[in-house]
Amino acid sequence: MDAKEGRRLQRLRIGSQLLFTALFFFLLLKSAGAAVEHLPHTGFFFYIDPLFLWVNALAGPFVRAFLLALIPLLLTLVLGRFFCGWVCPLGALHQFFTWLGSRRKQRKAAVDHNSLRLKYLLLIVLLVASLFATQLLGWLDPFALLTRSASTVVLPGANFLVQHALQAGAQNQGWAGKAVKPLYDLSRRFLLTVGQRAFLQAEVLGLIFFGLLLLNLKRRRFFCNSLCPLGALYGLLAKYSLLRLPLNEKCKKCNACANHCTYYGSPYQDYLKSECVLCFNCLVDCPAAAIDVRFQLPGPGRRPALDLGRRRLLAAAGFGLVAASLPQIAVARKAKAHPFIRPPGALAEKKFLKTCVRCGACMQSCPTNVIQPAVFQAGLEGLWTPVLVPAGGYCEYECNRCTQVCPTHALAALPLEEKKQFKIGTAVVDRSACYTYADGYNCAVCEEHCPVPEKAIRFREVEVNNFRGKLKKVKQIYVVPDLCIGCGICENVCPRTDQAAIRVGAEEEQRENPF
Amino acid sequence: MKRRTFVKNGAWFSSAFILAPLVRAQGKSGFANPARPASTGPSRPALTGPSRPAVTGQVVQVKGESPYEITRRALAELGGMEKVISRGDTVVVKPNIGWNRTVEQAACTNPEVLRAVIELIFAAGAKKVVVMDNSCHKAEDCYQRSGIAEAARKAGAEVRYCDENRLVVHDFKGEYLGKWPVFRDFLEADKFINVPILKHHGSSGLTIAMKNLYGILGGNRGKLHRDMGENIADLASGFRSHLVLVDAFRVLVRNGPVGGRLSDVELRQTVIASTSVMHADVAAAALFGRDAREVEFLQAAFARKMGEIDIAKVPLRAVTV
Repeated sequence: MDAKEGRRLQRLRIGSQLLFTALFFFLLLKSAGAAVEHLPHTGFFFYIDPLFLWVNALAGPFVRAFLLALIPLLLTLVLGRFFCGWVCPLGALHQFFTWLGSRRKQRKAAVDHNSLRLKYLLLIVLLVASLFATQLLGWLDPFALLTRSASTVVLPGANFLVQHALQAGAQNQGWAGKAVKPLYDLSRRFLLTVGQRAFLQAEVLGLIFFGLLLLNLKRRRFFCNSLCPLGALYGLLAKYSLLRLPLNEKCKKCNACANHCTYYGSPYQDYLKSECVLCFNCLVDCPAAAIDVRFQLPGPGRRPALDLGRRRLLAAAGFGLVAASLPQIAVARKAKAHPFIRPPGALAEKKFLKTCVRCGACMQSCPTNVIQPAVFQAGLEGLWTPVLVPAGGYCEYECNRCTQVCPTHALAALPLEEKKQFKIGTAVVDRSACYTYADGYNCAVCEEHCPVPEKAIRFREVEVNNFRGKLKKVKQIYVVPDLCIGCGICENVCPRTDQAAIRVGAEEEQRENPF
Repeated sequence: MKRRTFVKNGAWFSSAFILAPLVRAQGKSGFANPARPASTGPSRPALTGPSRPAVTGQVVQVKGESPYEITRRALAELGGMEKVISRGDTVVVKPNIGWNRTVEQAACTNPEVLRAVIELIFAAGAKKVVVMDNSCHKAEDCYQRSGIAEAARKAGAEVRYCDENRLVVHDFKGEYLGKWPVFRDFLEADKFINVPILKHHGSSGLTIAMKNLYGILGGNRGKLHRDMGENIADLASGFRSHLVLVDAFRVLVRNGPVGGRLSDVELRQTVIASTSVMHADVAAAALFGRDAREVEFLQAAFARKMGEIDIAKVPLRAVTV
């Protein structure tokens, strides 16, 4: 195939990557915003992820949409790792940064089997661990990683930058204002949120995400080659795929095809079908039109392949067992109290941790920003799982979006009327801090905001000596625990500026047998 | 153009954009503490003086089937929107968009009432109408579910969200409420039209037009729930409503101000119009079945000589369509 045809294929690949990346961000933006009853279907990319299928098959309840993930698996047996090169939006971002890096002069590096092998070993560790009680696939799964990073870092960050860049200009009364205002209004309408969204440890998540992107400047598609467990899974199948890049007699053995190969191999030297993502850069680089693209049944003889090594595989499996057991022997496992609230519909904690893929789709969908990635509240195992932090927002009474978007149903889908009744915790009044007790004057902001129609927060009028020593009638706040659903709006609006005098905790949460 | 010059010029240009608001916003700190002296923002003396003497505070109360029609009728009875609006005015209309609730749940102003008001304002020659409120629930939710955003846009008004970057400290010069951050949109308008909904309120008893003014404020508003009656009265006497239109079509009679249960809502099919915020509230309280003399914030307003507190002394005309 000559360079012209090669360039056409390459352009087609870039177009496909752009399309899927755009689709990904479109669906992600669609799943946020004002609370509405029914979300458009936003889970597409989760449902075509075989690792999520695995998680779902292990922990259930089975979601039929995950059967879609069999399609890329089967296609990989025919085409090889087309998914990584043509579909995956995270792969597209890495490809873009790799391209940025390739514009600088780069030393030709040889294929590094150790670095390519790492992802297979990681996959084994994660799969073994997930078989034995501890499921951490979401830490590295590309869709979990991208959704989480985009929801908590990229989109809020873009929101901040656009807001601050355009706002001052839009308020200008002169010609500058006239020019910027339409742009501002447009982004206001389609992109910006009314309040700036903020997330726990956004800095850390951002450093990880942008760090991974920047690594591409040093090593081409570093994450995809070395870390991605989904890439590893596809690699295992791609070894047997039918599409190949055989050389014809025109080959001058110049190895120019290695110049931009994503895994530092080439069809000429170190051709590894398990690593080739069909980027077709080699077709463009070849000066002699010596590379063909052809379906071929595997011939006799050994196929050149990455040697994973039996010992390494065993070691990885052993490491998986260790990784599975460590979180299970943390003392928090024995405690009946736990310092976090899960979003409505959350499964019992043990099951929840096995089912949740830490993708952060719930955080993106939450209209009030109350759902936050856990730091260590839920143990190391619970890192980046969703918890409710009332400082960030409150669980909106008329909303069940998080239960709609959760791909694995770690948050069980709840119809709105059921969700309104679903008790995620209970509020307690801190009498040593609440104005109506401690200082003896009226406040009742929490009572006012309580969304339960019968009011789970009430007050009784009593005569007290206030802080001036005067006898005064005060409306003192109390909580009706049976009515309280734990939404946390009371804590969110409490006017105290040191810490809220009414706080929600997981007391009496509805999900069964929390641990 | 060389890349170097492009980058350099770009950096200058964008830093000018970024720094501009910082220069303008000098003295914006200290929102949470109203007692700390801070520079006052642009204030218009015409807007911020006390309400006009009460005697002129004619009240019209209209009952009928259609919220849209009774609103139009109420303003006609009051002498027409032209009495309030001048040609070319920029008008801010402040409905209650506090909560993520539907029209039937009666926690936010009826969009039909609002539509009638906006149309009349435009008919009286206003240049621009802005509809906004500082919601308690998330603003996008409230604006959408209440139906207000859609109705206001259809009537030709600009629907605006409160933007914290547009807060300025305003001096209400009250005994209890002094300096407090206010969204400048409200201060910069030529006319301010107050369109509350009448409903039950846990801590203040009722929420009508005076309490509706909490929605022009930013900052930690919860702090104003201490001595709430006094704060409401200071707020209403320190910021003038040029016209008040109380929506009492559906009235939340229990578990306010959020409500949610339809059994707590009663159909009263009434609107009340006045240029006196106090008289509108006294009349609305009477409609609710409360004696204004037992309502804390109206007692405080009466003490500030904002108008009559005895419903018998309020010049009230009731009309049924």
